Amino acid sequence: MNEKEIAEALKKKFGDKIIKCEIPMRRRVFVEVRREDYKEVVRFLLKDLDLKFVEAITALDGKDHFEVIAHVGYSVSVSVKAKIPREDPSIDSLYDIAPGVDLYEREAHDLVGIVFKGHPNLKRFILPENWPEGVYPLRKDYEAKHPEPLR
Amino acid sequence: MSFYIPIGPQHPVHPEPLLMKFKVEGEQVVDVEINVSYTHRGIEKGFEYRDYLKGIYLAERICGICNAAHTVCYTQNIEQLLGKEIPPRAKYLRLIVEELSRIHSHLLWLGLAAHQIGFETLFMYVWRDRERVLDVIEAITGNRVVTSYNTIGGVRRDINPQIEHKIRKAMDYLEKRTKYFKKVIMEEPTVLMRTQNVGILKPREAIELFAVGPVLRASGIKHDVRADDPYIAHDEVPFNVATYDTCDVYARILVRIDEVLECINMIRYSLDHLPSGPYRLKLPIIIRPPPGESVSRVEAPRGELLHYVMSDGTEKPYRYKVRTPTLANIPATARMLTSRKNYVVYIADIPIIFGSIDPCLCCTGRVAFVDIEKGRSWVWSYSQLIKYSRERFERHD
Amino acid sequence: MGFTARLIRWARGRSPWILFINTGACNACDIEVVAALTPRFDLERFGVLLKGSPRHADILVVTGPVTRQVRDRLIRIYNQMPDPKFVVAAGTCATSGGVFWKCYNVYESLDKVIPVDAYISGCPVKPEAVVQAVNILAQKIMKG
Repeated sequence: MNEKEIAEALKKKFGDKIIKCEIPMRRRVFVEVRREDYKEVVRFLLKDLDLKFVEAITALDGKDHFEVIAHVGYSVSVSVKAKIPREDPSIDSLYDIAPGVDLYEREAHDLVGIVFKGHPNLKRFILPENWPEGVYPLRKDYEAKHPEPLR
Repeated sequence: MSFYIPIGPQHPVHPEPLLMKFKVEGEQVVDVEINVSYTHRGIEKGFEYRDYLKGIYLAERICGICNAAHTVCYTQNIEQLLGKEIPPRAKYLRLIVEELSRIHSHLLWLGLAAHQIGFETLFMYVWRDRERVLDVIEAITGNRVVTSYNTIGGVRRDINPQIEHKIRKAMDYLEKRTKYFKKVIMEEPTVLMRTQNVGILKPREAIELFAVGPVLRASGIKHDVRADDPYIAHDEVPFNVATYDTCDVYARILVRIDEVLECINMIRYSLDHLPSGPYRLKLPIIIRPPPGESVSRVEAPRGELLHYVMSDGTEKPYRYKVRTPTLANIPATARMLTSRKNYVVYIADIPIIFGSIDPCLCCTGRVAFVDIEKGRSWVWSYSQLIKYSRERFERHD
Repeated sequence: MGFTARLIRWARGRSPWILFINTGACNACDIEVVAALTPRFDLERFGVLLKGSPRHADILVVTGPVTRQVRDRLIRIYNQMPDPKFVVAAGTCATSGGVFWKCYNVYESLDKVIPVDAYISGCPVKPEAVVQAVNILAQKIMKG
């Protein structure tokens, strides 16, 4: 399926739930959905349109909200974005439809602080064990600095 | 009762620290937990403090062995944001250096895999031939390993007929040697015994756990980013995607050797059809792309590499995300290392199974064992593990 | 100095045994250091052997910027090595932090964690430079 057919299929199935859908270049589709529909859209792309792979999950800190982006694709890469409010940074986990996203969600939790509801094992993955709780390095209010020298 | 003892640089041939914790019953491995956080440097945050041109030098050093793939992916991403297309000669030159670095990476891995099995002669032969590839890369780009050949808008240096002649001679030599290595691997009984039916990953599991690269192709799934989502000049240079369907370590070795032979053919084709013209676009040093997002995918030697960028109109990226292929292969590796009904993993198989995914976060770690039945636990260093696995197989002969 | 002491010092310089550790590097320096052992550059003709345990080694070769997770392990290995011991920082990352400015998980250079005797620059180091560095260090050991 090429990118135009995928965009058409998404619009036909979900209609108004798609907030924005763009095709910036060949074989790339960028879709924005609401937080509640995120898992359903990814499941549709993965299983019904047979795109097979979730390649990555990106979490980022927008100006007044957080965003979670799931990159799904085989030959065309579709990026499904969901905006989530700062006061309640949680979203459904994709673990039960796609067990391979285990480590991606743990990394996003460590670095930006998003809670994935339904993930069985959301513990520390990439930061050191003695990193302080509640400090998320990839948020915009964290200023990167080197650790204190020992000598 | 089990305890972690932290990392020691036990085997210099495997860089990069990592910790694995295994649960064993007698000789069989039952469960594994892998900790890869020791090389986390905070690079994604580092990108946000640098403008786009400086970011190339940081992106290169994410992994020194697949540095060509990281720079192709990064520069492609920024060029997509700017909406610019690079000249055809630049595409072919990028392809030549990318394929040379793939040959280098696969030969390096083949030497290390031979070393893990105990086949030291093959290790030394392969690493000697790898020096030929490094000579060619140094002639084209100026450095052996971390080359900085790509820049935003094209490549930094051109090639002349002397370099072209040198590349062709090296390709003839390497083709002969690679075919010899393939014959050795397919006929040597020790290699066959250690690698066939070991480390099985069924096709359904490979898709479910999102494995990438040669691990996926050795389970029979024909997916290669160069064929399915072509970038640079891959839509014009023909090649075959190498797949095997025995799903074990032996298949992964053969997939990588076949890929080396395909790369040699691709380089020869590119040299024959190299277009003339400029080799880079003239772009300003400080680049301010319009606000937007872009995703770029490249087939690194270890698998599919993905970069995502979001720009807000200033000269530094707002967010840059890198997803490396080895991270994608870790759930599949954990599945390969656990024993199930009809499939047994012995402690002696651990080094070669873990090595067969070509880990770029590799095992210099100490390995901790917990024996559930007897209730005891012990810690081995990685070289002790390799020595044990070699002795085990010698006793069986 | 007594004859035995001079003999021991000479023997140490003629066969330095190396321990190699990667503290979060990108792998490029590691493969170049290992390439220094292959037949083309051949470090072993100087009596150098790559050992697996800290208790057998004279020289510690460190690559990579030191990440927070690896710091304790590095210090423990340094303490386990018997005296006299020497530390070589291989690569620009170990010498001064390299490209990793403003990366929050790395120390700025190796000498902010353990004392260093020799620095090799290069990104990555050239195997010839590694051979020269080991040679110079061996001469220094022999002279005292």
